[in-house]
Amino acid sequence: MDTPSLLTDKEARLLQALVEEGVEFLVVGLAAAALQGAPAVTQDIDLWLRDLSDPRLRRALRRVGAVYIPRGPQNPPLLAGGDAGLFDIVVNMDGLRSFAQEARRALRIPVGAVEVPVLPLARVIASKRASDRPKDRAILPALEDALRVLRSRKHPGRLSRTAGRRRA
Amino acid sequence: MRLAPDKVRRLARARGLTLSEALRRARVSRNAFYHLARRATVVPRTVVALGTALGVPVAELLDEAPASPDQRAAALLREARRIHARNPQASFDNIWHTLWMLEQSPAERLRRSLIRGHAVSPDR
Repeated sequence: MDTPSLLTDKEARLLQALVEEGVEFLVVGLAAAALQGAPAVTQDIDLWLRDLSDPRLRRALRRVGAVYIPRGPQNPPLLAGGDAGLFDIVVNMDGLRSFAQEARRALRIPVGAVEVPVLPLARVIASKRASDRPKDRAILPALEDALRVLRSRKHPGRLSRTAGRRRA
Repeated sequence: MRLAPDKVRRLARARGLTLSEALRRARVSRNAFYHLARRATVVPRTVVALGTALGVPVAELLDEAPASPDQRAAALLREARRIHARNPQASFDNIWHTLWMLEQSPAERLRRSLIRGHAVSPDR
């Protein structure tokens, strides 16, 4: 079986266009967790956008041949066409503060030639706890353990604090 | 052996980055960087002491060749065991896989995550 071509330059181009146009966004969800090293599996890259009516978003999408489809009676807001195939738009994030507050604490992680703003793993965990769907509950232990590893590397001598409080 | 801030600055500039941008990308604080830059040596005291005891320069004790895959795996295994010992409620598998993921570039981590995700749901 052929290995699917995922996160190629095409996808990186969309992220680059968003950054270069100055679109305010965060990579969230399990894609954010994976970027930080969590052994998480995901099907798409969730983007939390501050303002879906931002003309810079339209410009960035146009650069990569993609379009924004606003929310309709049957559909959530979507990205379609061009290099947007792997991306999903997230409008609301459970368990988090406002976009502006979360964006202030975002990590800048290099993806190809561009640094993208990414929700820190601890905040991904907070949103998964708040969502509390079965699939969120299933992935939480792996995310919490990944956070323990990151904290252990940051503070080698310190015991983990709250990462595993739901599992104690 | 000292950290050379000028060399770091020059290398950053050659890659189109300011020092601040390079530090942010490396997730190293300015405090940590300048703290290290002020030190007489960045070599751990243990190594300096060993060099002194043997009467050789520290450089003679160091091997510049990168660790072999076996050595790297052994080092990661030691780290995984250490972290698990401090966090016995955690899954050793999760710790181990996270450490391996951290060996990859962020783009590669995401790519692997997506490949596995699409392998689970190939219809998507």
